[in-house]
Amino acid sequence: MSTTQLSSTLETGAAPKARSRRPRWSLIALLGPVTAFLGVFFFMPLAIMAVFSLLEPGLYGGVVWNFYADNFGRILGWANGPIEEFDPVYLSILMRSLRIALITAALCLLVCYPVAFWVSRLPPRRRNFCLFLITLPFFASLIVRLYAWVLILRPSGALNGLLAWLGISDAPVGLIYTEAAVLIGLVYIMAPFMFLPLYASIEKLDRGLIEASYDLGAGRITTFRRVTLPLTLPGIIGGSILVFIPTLGNFIVPSLLGGAQVLMIGNLIEQQFLQARNWPFGAALAMLVMSVVLGLLTLYVRATLRRQATDVPGKEAQA
Amino acid sequence: MPCPILRYLPTPRLLGALGLGTLTLSPAFADGQLHLYNWGDYINPAVLERFSEEYDVRVTLDTYGSNEEMLAKLQAGATGYDLVFPSVHMQDILFQLDLIAPTTINQSEAFSNIDPDFLRARTDPEGEYCLPYAWGTVGIFYNRNAVEEISSWEDFFAAARDGQRVAMLDDMRETLGVALIVNGDSVNTDEADALTHAGDYLIERRPLISAFTYDVVPMVQSGDLAAAHYFVGAMMYVDEAPEDLAYVIPEEGATLYQENLCLLRDAPNRDNAIRFMEFLLRPEIAALNARQQKNGTPNREALALLPDELRNNPAIYPPEEVMARLQVFEDLGAAVRRYDRTWMRVRTAR
Repeated sequence: MSTTQLSSTLETGAAPKARSRRPRWSLIALLGPVTAFLGVFFFMPLAIMAVFSLLEPGLYGGVVWNFYADNFGRILGWANGPIEEFDPVYLSILMRSLRIALITAALCLLVCYPVAFWVSRLPPRRRNFCLFLITLPFFASLIVRLYAWVLILRPSGALNGLLAWLGISDAPVGLIYTEAAVLIGLVYIMAPFMFLPLYASIEKLDRGLIEASYDLGAGRITTFRRVTLPLTLPGIIGGSILVFIPTLGNFIVPSLLGGAQVLMIGNLIEQQFLQARNWPFGAALAMLVMSVVLGLLTLYVRATLRRQATDVPGKEAQA
Repeated sequence: MPCPILRYLPTPRLLGALGLGTLTLSPAFADGQLHLYNWGDYINPAVLERFSEEYDVRVTLDTYGSNEEMLAKLQAGATGYDLVFPSVHMQDILFQLDLIAPTTINQSEAFSNIDPDFLRARTDPEGEYCLPYAWGTVGIFYNRNAVEEISSWEDFFAAARDGQRVAMLDDMRETLGVALIVNGDSVNTDEADALTHAGDYLIERRPLISAFTYDVVPMVQSGDLAAAHYFVGAMMYVDEAPEDLAYVIPEEGATLYQENLCLLRDAPNRDNAIRFMEFLLRPEIAALNARQQKNGTPNREALALLPDELRNNPAIYPPEEVMARLQVFEDLGAAVRRYDRTWMRVRTAR
C-alpha cells in the first residue's frame, strides 16, 4: 500500500520535494539536540563573557551595566587613567603562553610521530593493547598525576635519585619551578591528544604508495617529505590543534610545576576571577586569548592546506 | 583572604571542580538535611558525624579554596547551601550584598562561651548573624634540618640568600601583606606609596623566592623547600615530626585570620543550620574540632578542654605582645584594583 503511494508520488513529480523534506526532518532530529545543547551550554556562556568583557567591573565581583572600554584598554593600550592603566605585561604573558603552547605542540609531535608509526605496524592484538596503554593515564585524576610529577622533579625526587644512581649527576638538578618543568608536565598530559589523531591518519596510510615511491627511485628522506608527510598531514594538523588550544589556557600545570617563575595567561584569568574579583577584565583576557587562537588557527590551517595542495606529487608533475 | 587549608594531595578546590569534593555523611534514615560550604580540610569530620548521628541529619560538605570563589558561587544564586565559613572581611561583604541572614545565635545560652574579642566583623558587632568559628596566624613553616632557626622574615630571606629554597603563598593579600607588615604599614592600606613600597620589597626579593604556591607541605617535609609562608595549620605536620619541622610567627608581625559560620539568606534547612551552630557552641564539640584542626578556637570553655601542648603552644595561642603585632584583613573596597596591579607587577617581574 505504502509503496504504491510512494511510487505514485514519485511519478507525479512531487517526489523531489518529499525526498528533500525527509532528510531535512531527520537532519533536524539528528542535529537538533546537539545544536540546542551547544547553544545553551557553549554559545550562551561565551556570549555572556563577550558582553561582560565590555562592562564595568562591580566592586564585589559581577558587573555594572555600563559600557567600559578600559578592560581591553588595559591590555591593548588605550586605558590611561587613575583607575585603569595600560600595562604591556598582559601581552607579554600572552606571547609567553603562545610560545609555551607552540613548543608543547612541537615536542608532542616529535615524541608521538615515531611511536604512532611503530604502533601502527604491530599485529592487531598488540596494537590494541598499546592504544589501551596510551589512554590509561585518563583513568587517574590529572591532579594526582601532576603531583606525582612534583615528587619526581623536586630536588630530592625520583629523577635526581635516578641520575645519582646512574652516576650522571651528583648535585641535585633543580627542575621543579622552572619552565622546563612546565613543559615536561604539559607534554606529558597533552601527548595522548597528539597521538590519537596522528595514529588515525598513519594507520590509514597506504604502504603501497611508499613502496611505489622507493620503486620510482626516491630516497628515504624524499619519500618521507613527499609521500608520508603530506598523507599524514591531517593527523598532524588535528593533533597540533588539540594540543595547542588546551595548552594555551592551561593554568594547573604552571601553578603546580612552575611555581613563581612561569606565569601563563590562564593563571592571569584565574587570578582575575578568584582573587581580584574583576570578572570583566578576566573576560576580556579570555576573549583576547580566544581571538588570537581563532586567528592563528585560521592562518595555520590555510597555510598547511595550501602546502598540501602544492606538495601533491601529481600536481607538481602536471606543472 | 587567608586560606586556612591544608592543601596536601588533590587540592579541595580542584577536586571540587572535578565534582569529587562532596563529602556526604548519611545515617541510614536521615530525617533532615544540612549543606555546608567550607574551606577544604577546615572541619573535623568527626564533628559532622557526631551531629549527623545525634540529630539524624544528612550532612553534605562542599569545599572552596578562596573567599572570592565562594562569593562568586553565592552570587550566581540558588546554591542550596545552608552555612558558609567566610573570613571576617568577607562576612562584611556578604552582609552588604544581603546574602546572609540573622540567626540570633547570640541569644543562645552557650554564646557566653565565645570570647567577645572574636566578634570582629564590623557589620555584626553583637553576633546576631554569625558565629566565630576558628582563627589562626599565617607565618613561616620551616624544616629544621635545612635551616637552624627562623624567627623573622629577615631570617627567611637570609636563608634564601644562603642558597636555600623558600616559597611564599600564591595569595595576593597574604603575600603583599608580608611586605606591608615588614615595611610597617597596615595590611589594609589604600595608600599608593605603601603599596608601591610593598611591591618593590617583593620584587627585590623575587629571585630568592622559588615559588608562589599553596602546595608546600610535602616540599618542606622533604627539605626541598627550607621554609615556606604558611598557615598555622602546619602545626598538624609539626606535631608529627617536631625535631624536623617548625612553625613560627615572624617577629615583624603576621596576619591573623578568622572565619565565622554564617547562615545564608536562602538556606533551605534553616533550623538544622541553627542547630548546627548551637552544636558548635558546646565546649566538647568545639574542642573536638580544635584538637584535630590545631588552630585557635574562640570558645573559651573549649580552650580549657584542650591538651596542654595545644593550649600552651605560643605558635597557636600567641602571648599578648605577639597578638598585638597581628593584623586582620578588612574589605578593601575599590582599592582591591591597586592591590591587583601591584601583585601583577610582583608576579611578572623577571
